[in-house]
Amino acid sequence: MTGHAPPAVRPVITGIGVLSAAGTGLDALAEAAAHGKAAFGPVTRFDVSARRTTRAALLPEPVPLADAVLAAVDQACRQARLPAAGNPGLPVLLALHSDLRTRAVTDAVAAGATAAWGTAGVTRVYTGACVAAGTAVADAAALVAAGRHPRVLVAAGHLVEPGVFAAFDAGRALARDGELRPFSAGRTGTLLGDAAAAVLVEAEPDAGRRGAPVLARLAGWGRAGDAHHVCRPEPDGAGAVRAVGAALARAGLAPAEIGYVNANGTGSPLADRAEASALRRVFGRHAERLPVSSSKAVHGHALEASALLELAVTVAALRDGRLPVNAGWLGPDPDVGLDLVLDGPRTARPRYALTLNSAFGGANTALLVAAR
Amino acid sequence: MTGLRILAEARWPGTGLTGPDRLPPVPGFAASTFNPLVAETAERCLRARHGSAPAPGRTALLLASAGGDRAIARAIDEAAASGRRVPPLLFFQSNPNAVLGHIAARWGLTGPVVAISPAGARPGSVPQDALDHAALLLADGDADHVLVIAAEQADPPGAADATGAGTDRAVAVLVTSA
Repeated sequence: MTGHAPPAVRPVITGIGVLSAAGTGLDALAEAAAHGKAAFGPVTRFDVSARRTTRAALLPEPVPLADAVLAAVDQACRQARLPAAGNPGLPVLLALHSDLRTRAVTDAVAAGATAAWGTAGVTRVYTGACVAAGTAVADAAALVAAGRHPRVLVAAGHLVEPGVFAAFDAGRALARDGELRPFSAGRTGTLLGDAAAAVLVEAEPDAGRRGAPVLARLAGWGRAGDAHHVCRPEPDGAGAVRAVGAALARAGLAPAEIGYVNANGTGSPLADRAEASALRRVFGRHAERLPVSSSKAVHGHALEASALLELAVTVAALRDGRLPVNAGWLGPDPDVGLDLVLDGPRTARPRYALTLNSAFGGANTALLVAAR
Repeated sequence: MTGLRILAEARWPGTGLTGPDRLPPVPGFAASTFNPLVAETAERCLRARHGSAPAPGRTALLLASAGGDRAIARAIDEAAASGRRVPPLLFFQSNPNAVLGHIAARWGLTGPVVAISPAGARPGSVPQDALDHAALLLADGDADHVLVIAAEQADPPGAADATGAGTDRAVAVLVTSA
């Protein structure tokens, strides 16, 4: 099969857990996003005196990474009314950074999830940079839509730590002025953020039988590559265009039916321009009145966890009827040409929203969310 | 390998007498054998199937490595702990996607770009988790082919001994739906 037909079984989201610099839980993050309240501050967790950039969005209280992920898992499973200790067949897809601690964190998450929720451990670990969690969600949706599993738990975590911070600083990827300004004139780079998130993806009929709350529907998903460069995006966003196209086809929707886009929008001069180009190519004239923002402007770039955190923000936007604000704005970049959400709270009731992510290696994922 | 058909396979170290006996360097990648290991094994597999670039159709890239690039991870940790400036080349090598971008750009591979870390992967063999994931990507329709690269760096990196037990090992298989 090579097509992207709408699936027979519709995947829905029945639980969401979040820890972010805005605090514990999705409501705190949704409130900060709706008001464009950026959570960046000085990094005090380790010495940054030798770095060009010294700011990030940190959790209010430091927590070990596995504990943060397990706290998010606990929130998601409780919200989904999953029975405790009775889920041996529940796949757990986990997105983490690839480093010397990946295995230990995975083992700790596996042990914790088994103890609290009776899962059989961690099924797969995704390490593919900024699309790691987006790929995991797409895979979860595919597994549920194909009838392979009634439900799949996706979890992810990233905490700002000295090594990655120093590497991003050395690569001049971090904003020199200490502000993340997606799509704005004068943007100078990204800022890192702490996050742990978890989402339970479930077949709609199974959720209905359990009486689980349906928070949103995963109407479409897509994954595609740029085939362009080790770390630079294809200038016209070719891979992102293909990923969005796949998501729209699976959802059976026309581009004009999308009512909000939570963009990747890292604040990188090159990547934001490529993404804007991709959005203009996909949406054509509809892009002139399609609200777009990058919630990274509020919670920072959570790398491997970013796509899951931003999926959570997008679900909250549909739920609450408030679009995240593209904070940090200084003025228009003539190369962008998008209808950015610049002040808030912006009320709107879109039925469908997209959340996009892109990564090194030209990787792109698109998740299409339908309001419940 | 239920549901998959193997179109080509390649290994490092190779089994024949042809080809280089040292991993060719990859421009822009330094301080570790991991990325050259991935790139050379992928290159051999794609050449075995397609001869020369570009590859037709939509090919996904799936890198499976339990250990990942430990040499780069150590270099980043040590540089950060010392307070020294981290060499800028370590920035994009800090994640496993970068070398996949190199392969994708060279061969025109437009499918999904994925990296996973299967527990207990045996060096020189393709983990079942990677094959399961390749089958899912094909069945779900985002790719026509998947190039699976399973790569494990010697630990500690560069510790190859006379028995070959400490050798970097990788295997690549190009698969499609059966």
